[in-house]
Amino acid sequence: MSEKTINLEINGRFFQAAEGQTVLDVARREGIEIPTLCHHDALEPFGACRICLVEITHKNWKGWSGLVTACLYPVEEGLQVTTENAEIAKARRTMLDLLLARCPGSDKIRRLAAAQGVTKTSFKKAAHPTTCILCGLCVRVCAVKGANAIDTSGRGIGKKIAIPFRQPPPDCIGCASCAHICPTDTIRCEDTGTGRKIWGHSFEMVACEACGKPILPRKQMEFEAARSKLDESYFSVCADCSQAKTFKTIGTAFDMEGVQ
Amino acid sequence: MEEKTMIITPSRCTACRTCELACSFQHSVNGKPGIPRIRALMIAENDGHVLTCFQCDDAACVKVCPVEALGRNDDTAAIEVNADRCIGCGLCSIACPFGHISHETHGNIAVKCNLCQGRPACVTFCPTKTLEYK
Repeated sequence: MSEKTINLEINGRFFQAAEGQTVLDVARREGIEIPTLCHHDALEPFGACRICLVEITHKNWKGWSGLVTACLYPVEEGLQVTTENAEIAKARRTMLDLLLARCPGSDKIRRLAAAQGVTKTSFKKAAHPTTCILCGLCVRVCAVKGANAIDTSGRGIGKKIAIPFRQPPPDCIGCASCAHICPTDTIRCEDTGTGRKIWGHSFEMVACEACGKPILPRKQMEFEAARSKLDESYFSVCADCSQAKTFKTIGTAFDMEGVQ
Repeated sequence: MEEKTMIITPSRCTACRTCELACSFQHSVNGKPGIPRIRALMIAENDGHVLTCFQCDDAACVKVCPVEALGRNDDTAAIEVNADRCIGCGLCSIACPFGHISHETHGNIAVKCNLCQGRPACVTFCPTKTLEYK
């Protein structure tokens, strides 16, 4: 272990962490609950939702303390973290209150807000309500897949998830990971029998060689085959038919053994 | 830990599917039985077969995963899914040439045999010793 060990304190208990870990990493590892909305272990931390706010202080900070996002704040020697107190609860409630004003139609946000005791927004409701909470999960999952087809545009209240020049994004491979990961089901993906419609594109699907069921868009197959250096034949049979084929192959192999 | 392997002797299998049940209960979440990671099938009369992940050396699922959610556990040599990292894209189940990866209906997270961290429940419950772990 050449990595430096860092000692920190969460809710009065002492823990050790490796350099570069975040407060959230350590809390999750130790089973300390910190609510999150825009966090995913496989994706870059983003700090968009501000639900994971925690209070930090340090004995050398002369009594200074502040609220930071646990998902982004790196651990440091002697850090003292509090995950639940009145101030944090108030800040979280304000964030949910704002989200409720922006997304009055989202069931997920309503449930989350109700769990924190916010049932009605105290702000003016948005003129153009949406269900997008700008968590950025779709943008980050697109980046991690290597497609980089969508991004955020604008700032402040004009910020939104956008496609370049409002045209179907040329880099989109139709994997629909953005639609799968979207916590509020804002991104629409329409699967018809032979095609998939997403972000204004209409993708041709590869049909399973055995049963004809659509598996994945042809463009995605070519993309994934190139990325993973696997032959395209790996993507041409669906999971159910692959299993049926394996049973058949093994059955035949053992029958032949019996003959010998 | 000493190296152990799952050994399947198909000639003993009666496709009673006790292994599937044991697997479901072993991997139950919040009291709900999980998707079995092992499959038993009567492919002809008196010809049962049982299949589970081969834990390939050069595994297609590991190669195709875009977020490194699949990795080998050095203790058991099993390829395991890190459910917190999985983004549910479903590529691993498509790429597996043997069809041994399925997905949870809720959240689409990949599920596969992890040899129960070295104590496979299917082996414990197999009544005909088709499944052995030694």
